[in-house]
Amino acid sequence: MANASIAIGSRPHAKGAIPWYVWASALAVTSTSVGLYWDISWHMSIGRDTFWTPAHLGIHFGAIVAGISSVFLILSTTFGKKHELRATSVKMWGFYGPLGAFVSLWGGLAMLTSAPFDDWWHNAFGLDVQIMSPPHVVLILGIFTLGLGGLFLIVSEMNRADAETRAKLNRVFLYAGCMLTILLLMLIYEYTDYTLTHSAIFYRVLALAMPPVLVGIARASGYRWAATKVAGIYFVLWLLALWLVPLVPAQAKLGPVYTPISHLVPLEFPVLLFAGAAALDFLLDRLAGRNKWLQAAVAGVGFLLVMMAVEWPAGSFLVSHLAENRFFGTDYYPYMQRPSDYHFDHELWAYEKTRADFWLGMTFAFGAAIVTTRIGLAWGDWMRRVRR
Amino acid sequence: MRKYIVVVLVGLCLMLCPAAWSHVGSPDVYYEAMAGPYKMFVTVRTPQMIPGIAQIEVRCLEGSVDDIEIVPLRVIGEGSKTAPPPDHMSPSEADPQFFTGKLWLMESGSWQVRMDVSGLQGKAQLAVPVPAYARRTLGMQKTTGIVLACLMVFLTLSLISIFGAAARESQLEPGVEISPARRSRARIAMVVAAVAVVAILLLGDMWWTSIATANASDKVYKAPPVEVSMVDGSQLVLKMGASPWHERRKQMQLDNIIPDHGHLMHLFLVRMPDMDEFYHLHPDETATRTFTEKMPVVAGGSYAVFADIVRESGFPDTMTSKIDLPAGNKGTSLAGDDSSTVAPKISALQGNVTTSPLGPDDHVEWVLDSATTQAQKASLLRFRVMDKNGAPANDLEPYMGMAGHLVILRRDLSVFSHVHPAGSVPMAALMLLQQPNTSGTDAMANMQHDATTNELTFPYGFPRAGDYRLFLQVKRGGRVQTAVFDTHVAP
Repeated sequence: MANASIAIGSRPHAKGAIPWYVWASALAVTSTSVGLYWDISWHMSIGRDTFWTPAHLGIHFGAIVAGISSVFLILSTTFGKKHELRATSVKMWGFYGPLGAFVSLWGGLAMLTSAPFDDWWHNAFGLDVQIMSPPHVVLILGIFTLGLGGLFLIVSEMNRADAETRAKLNRVFLYAGCMLTILLLMLIYEYTDYTLTHSAIFYRVLALAMPPVLVGIARASGYRWAATKVAGIYFVLWLLALWLVPLVPAQAKLGPVYTPISHLVPLEFPVLLFAGAAALDFLLDRLAGRNKWLQAAVAGVGFLLVMMAVEWPAGSFLVSHLAENRFFGTDYYPYMQRPSDYHFDHELWAYEKTRADFWLGMTFAFGAAIVTTRIGLAWGDWMRRVRR
Repeated sequence: MRKYIVVVLVGLCLMLCPAAWSHVGSPDVYYEAMAGPYKMFVTVRTPQMIPGIAQIEVRCLEGSVDDIEIVPLRVIGEGSKTAPPPDHMSPSEADPQFFTGKLWLMESGSWQVRMDVSGLQGKAQLAVPVPAYARRTLGMQKTTGIVLACLMVFLTLSLISIFGAAARESQLEPGVEISPARRSRARIAMVVAAVAVVAILLLGDMWWTSIATANASDKVYKAPPVEVSMVDGSQLVLKMGASPWHERRKQMQLDNIIPDHGHLMHLFLVRMPDMDEFYHLHPDETATRTFTEKMPVVAGGSYAVFADIVRESGFPDTMTSKIDLPAGNKGTSLAGDDSSTVAPKISALQGNVTTSPLGPDDHVEWVLDSATTQAQKASLLRFRVMDKNGAPANDLEPYMGMAGHLVILRRDLSVFSHVHPAGSVPMAALMLLQQPNTSGTDAMANMQHDATTNELTFPYGFPRAGDYRLFLQVKRGGRVQTAVFDTHVAP
């Protein structure tokens, strides 16, 4: 039976306070994101790894934090004395807990599942140095779901909170959303290389991956310029990593060493996502209240046009010798890159072999941007209604 | 620039070694050589899949070694100069002169394991050429499969339930009870989620299968195909076909063929199923990737063909084929380094044959012990050439620059090895390591050496249990003579 007093009294924390599990989920997604970045850098710089590298520990620490906090939250809600906690819970298989806790726990379990799968894969097909292999996809799916669970936990608190608490939670929400965006950008890293900025594949992948997350988070946040803030945080953190990671000494431990290594190799210059995100924020704000498909069409196309406007010249610049410095970082090479292949980093690559293929790809990219923006709107609206 | 000086001081046996290192079903490397004052017996057990880990064993036979550092490098070209930090091999507690270690081999192609040896007699270096190639993919173990299947079912069911919970309750205000409409909505959501998850799993399975198939096709080594035919009843013609495995690895310098002790190809013909006729020939390249040999008069029958070549990076290939040769062909006499022998039918033999006649009057003894004929056991195959009076025969001459050739064949032809007194190392690669600027030339042409002893040893390990025939070839009085042995290798 509906009862407003239960609804208000059921909040398990003091007014204005951010519950511990929100911080736990932020910590988990941060640890996993940092670990993943570190792991990619490790594979480019050092090569040899075991389960116990700091990077792997960072990734799995995130899974453990999310898993343990979710299990604790679910068990304490199910078996604890504070039965009022159940009022803000969903029920699954006889257990009670916030939806985000179940989602995070699922993500953690998927990550753990990927470990024996990946181990077998390495034995069967050799150590893979690619991101997109079946066990890696299970791992990435787990990581991404873990991050999603964190978002659901935070957004459910936000949606029940007063204005002051909501504002505090919104900052954590945008931060967690940024971590999720970073995870996604690492997943598509192989296709967002600056040498591909004059190819349709670059924009196709961006159109498929970015609008749902940026629009969804911005919509659920409800604050202006939310997507721009998320993309801005990503840009700053990624840029800091580009500048700071090379300060860490490292040595390649696998041969053949085609490029001698003296420090960790960072990931490439960040995508100028803030420009596209600003377009999304601006256009969706101006079109608020209009037909959702109209919003998606205008914002999706706008996102992609702006991304092309900034990335096309940025790509031309980044392949030039002017970018071969510590600021833009285009002169870092992984140990397994042959010196005779360096020139590939300083040439724009035509992924599509014909002009027709390029325009076909761009047509797909614009169509995808519209559809994925619409998905982002639907997902964001759904998250705005999450209460448990 | 760091400059690595590869000091490979090899002994008599090594200096006598020739040409191609050959392999079918025998991927491990066995090598005996001098590293400065230390006599070393090295075994490199190569991984089944690349990238993978090679297991390395070293026994010091002479001298006292304290420490061995190992690094992987390419034999020539990019990656042959800059090494990762070395790994230290671990001495055995029971035998301090026996060391074990492991190294990652990250790419298929021609590698070297460079060893820095230190001990009572000082420091020395040894470079062991190692051809790396993926041999097969591995199936999933039953236990792993069950665990992963259970986890997949659990994750699938729990994901569907999460979708149900999300549709049913997640948007309800705290304390509000679930309406029947929401319950219906949740059921629909779960059905949709179930269909979607199953579809994703099916798509994932298709993707997994395609990746696994592509991996097996792209990564697993395949020797170039070779078409063998007899032309005009007197010429054997071998035409090499295209090899996608090699073409995908042009950067590994696996294209051009280099002469190996004066010959671009070493060809072996063995009449099957009795292995009673054996030819060791050296066809010339008469057109691109086409080799021709003027054949001697051969006994008719079905022959197994093994053709050895070495690539410019030192990577060896053994191409295999079959050919039916008619009796009474228009043959010429054997000339140059070509040789042949007639052997007893293997099907008529029982048990080990450890003494074989050599020439009209002499014989060769194979000094066998139980450890020698054990699968996967690295050991020295030891042979003594005796004259008709039973005294050591000290009249051995170099045959193509070495004291002896040993061809090892498993009865079902699943194993073919062409080894020499230094072992199974690709000798052309070793020559490249010693003279890195001679790529593409016959680096071993001047490696002639006198044979001065009647005892020949071959480092080797039989890869699998089964019946084997061994053809030992030596040269005496300007004639090549072949001794034939049979043995059963225990598991």
